Amino acid sequence: MALTKKKQTNGTATKITWKEIKRQKVLLIWSAIIVVYGLIFCYFPLVGWLMAFQNYKPKDGLLHSTFIGLDKFKQLFSDVAFLKVIRNTLAMGVINLIATFIAAIVFAILLNEIRSKFGKKSVQTISYLPHFLSWIIVTGILHDALSSSGIVNELLLKFHILDQPLNFFAHPQYFWGIVAFANVWKETGWNAIIYLSAITAIDPSLYEAASIDGAGRWAKIKYVTLPGIKPTIMILLLMNVGNVLNAGFEIQYLLGNGLVQSVSQTIDIYVLKWGISQGDYALGTAAGIFKSLVSIILIVIANQIAKHNGDERLF
Amino acid sequence: MRRKKVVSLIMTASLAFSMLTGCGNSADSSKPASTDSASEESSTDSTGSADGTGSADGEIKEFTAFFATPATTEINEDNEIQQIIAEKVGAKVKETWLTGQTDKEAIGTLIASGEYPDFIEGGSGTPQLIDAGALVPLDDYLDDYPNIKALFTEEEWDKLRQDDGKIYFIPQFSTIKGEEKACAHNDEAFWIQTRVLKWAGYPKVETLDEYFQLIEDYNAANPTMEDGTENIPYTILCEDWRYFCLENAPQFLDGYPNDGSVIVNPETLKVVDYNTTPTAKRYFQKLNEEYKKGVVDPESFTQTYDEYIAKLSTGRVLGMVDQWWDFAYSAGDSIKQQGLDSKGCAYVPLPITIDKGIKNQWHNSGGVLNVSSGLAVTTSCQDVEGALQFVNDLLDQDIHDLRFWGVEGVDYEVLDNGEFYRNKEQTTAAADAAYKSSHLCPYSYFPQYNGTSDDGINATKPENQPSMFYETLNDEVKATFDAYGAKTYVDMLGSSEAPGSWYPMWSYSNSLTTDTAGGTAWLKMGEVKHEYLPKVVMADDFEASWSEYMSVYSECKPEDFLAEMQGELDKRMEQAAKFNN
Repeated sequence: MALTKKKQTNGTATKITWKEIKRQKVLLIWSAIIVVYGLIFCYFPLVGWLMAFQNYKPKDGLLHSTFIGLDKFKQLFSDVAFLKVIRNTLAMGVINLIATFIAAIVFAILLNEIRSKFGKKSVQTISYLPHFLSWIIVTGILHDALSSSGIVNELLLKFHILDQPLNFFAHPQYFWGIVAFANVWKETGWNAIIYLSAITAIDPSLYEAASIDGAGRWAKIKYVTLPGIKPTIMILLLMNVGNVLNAGFEIQYLLGNGLVQSVSQTIDIYVLKWGISQGDYALGTAAGIFKSLVSIILIVIANQIAKHNGDERLF
Repeated sequence: MRRKKVVSLIMTASLAFSMLTGCGNSADSSKPASTDSASEESSTDSTGSADGTGSADGEIKEFTAFFATPATTEINEDNEIQQIIAEKVGAKVKETWLTGQTDKEAIGTLIASGEYPDFIEGGSGTPQLIDAGALVPLDDYLDDYPNIKALFTEEEWDKLRQDDGKIYFIPQFSTIKGEEKACAHNDEAFWIQTRVLKWAGYPKVETLDEYFQLIEDYNAANPTMEDGTENIPYTILCEDWRYFCLENAPQFLDGYPNDGSVIVNPETLKVVDYNTTPTAKRYFQKLNEEYKKGVVDPESFTQTYDEYIAKLSTGRVLGMVDQWWDFAYSAGDSIKQQGLDSKGCAYVPLPITIDKGIKNQWHNSGGVLNVSSGLAVTTSCQDVEGALQFVNDLLDQDIHDLRFWGVEGVDYEVLDNGEFYRNKEQTTAAADAAYKSSHLCPYSYFPQYNGTSDDGINATKPENQPSMFYETLNDEVKATFDAYGAKTYVDMLGSSEAPGSWYPMWSYSNSLTTDTAGGTAWLKMGEVKHEYLPKVVMADDFEASWSEYMSVYSECKPEDFLAEMQGELDKRMEQAAKFNN
């Protein structure tokens, strides 16, 4: 991909001839493998979307189930629970996006300002390790820490902020915040890596020039670092907007309970509940299709905005 | 230049990445099962079944089994009794259990993958398994396996027939051989630690108010355990399907047996919704009062099952509602292991009702035929005859003894009169988790007998051996039993006959699916109760919260559910009438 781009920038569009194809044989084979991989693992499974338009029964399979058209979609959107689930997913997705996004940028810039190389490296390593923990462990830690006898309540009691332990998981109003916090805790260090590498790519002479002009640390961050990583920020923002509906599954599934179910269930949990537990594969698939469509629309919109502003964009 | 290069590199990398993740999602939504770990499990399992088919004489066949219920004990690979049984009957089974999912999720995943272990117990996912054509109809086989056939009468086998007239599964726990010997109360009750009763001088406790008063008084006088750990007066488990510990007490409090999802009035033969009875309201109001007093554990509604068992195992919890099997083999055994039972931390049941003078039916005698699920053989099994032969062999008396009593001379002694006997050490060993994994092999989810052995002397399972039962009891429990004139757990409650041939109705509500209006209502009612029952208990203003709950509850159309339950009740009574004539 990078190669063809280079060719084009050179100004001469290459004609497709046998000779040219032979010359690029190796490249073509390599890309063919990727294309085949994509077809098999990304596009072929989409045949399963047919299920959403059928009264699908595993016994009959895709070929022999009866077609019911858009009935399942109608059922989906007349279900109050599903509308709630969309709200939860969007809300948690947006909160997570903003929180993790800002946290990663701030963290990367702060880390960049550390002078001691050893300190910088060790902080970076420690901070991205939680990324490798699975959610089951993270939620276990959270559950312990936030329980009535957990460390958080103990501290709040010791400092007399509370006089009764507060059971964080029993109150719907805290749930989204807890999820966002968990995401930030787990992913900030990891997400910061990409910004850090973008920062190191900034030409040091720009900082020197800024110093000569009398810029302090703050001014250097504001006028050199941030503009320097702006393209990276834009690209990642765009990609993450498409991911907003992937607000999560494990964390809500593992932290949820009866009391908070009205704010904790996401589309993925809904799909699991109906598609797998209740055996209504058609309804589950319909919910999944809806999610994919919304994601695609979100990406296109965000991309258009970026295009309009003349920023970096995906396509 | 350099900057551009890095940026373009990042761009390409992230593009490729976004392509991958993007596609991953769509694959997920159409085939969510393919990534799940349970399906992997089953595919490795099915290789096990291949071994089973190729076995020549003298070789040991290996089958696989999945039980959609969490394991109380998982058997080690080199389990000793499993090996002894394998040598005797020429087959063994590798058991896998539910972990971290609900039974319906696990079954749904298996169905989506289309590959099954040889044996399966589907729990509430059983209708889905039948619907997916995953189970082998057993009708043609049953006559060849006398031990299996003998488990049930013709009438009972008939009750197990599904809508298509075929039998797909064998209920494991429903058969009593000979005289019933029940010492343990294997069911639900209000449990209380013996130290509480002892402190109060073993008073008569019959009503809900008395029960909580006793716990309150004890906790006021003794707020901590001996080692200074604070007591938890009363906790409620309500994770997922185990929320029966919160939810279904009203039926018992009114003196009805465990029909599970409805009350059946034995005179009019009409179903009654126990969620909306005055007793239900009084029960939850009581819990609400106790919650405000700090008697109900504030973590009740957010704790997981594991956290609950861990809590119980410390001996801190004075009382709770639960099924015996739900805590006794994990937390109960752990309390024994730590010697906490000698400090009065073992649990005994109390015959609680809402008012005095109501006959309680916490304990029912007689087997309960579970017509909603059981052990089934799947279409993935290559050797159905071999599999059923194994089940048949497991029911032979000598194998049955090995499964539940263990090895003679090691796990139990035989007295001169032929009576089996476990001494104190053997009893303690049998409660030890490590020993259970490495030595004992009850094949606990395969068909089994309760009641009396073929020899007419012994109970089929040690926990029901009357002579031994009382003697091996902990002194604290014994003293409690003595004080109430009881010899067994059952005596603490008294026993009633099964109320009628419809019993139990839960076997029908368990098999409801969302294909019917009643099934959908049942699902929604469950969801509403999961959210609102805790809310009601925690509410500052109980009355307002209760009426909010009632209005949301009625939106679920419980009448649809009740109508279907009534239909099933009528059907069951009709069928029973056929056999009586």
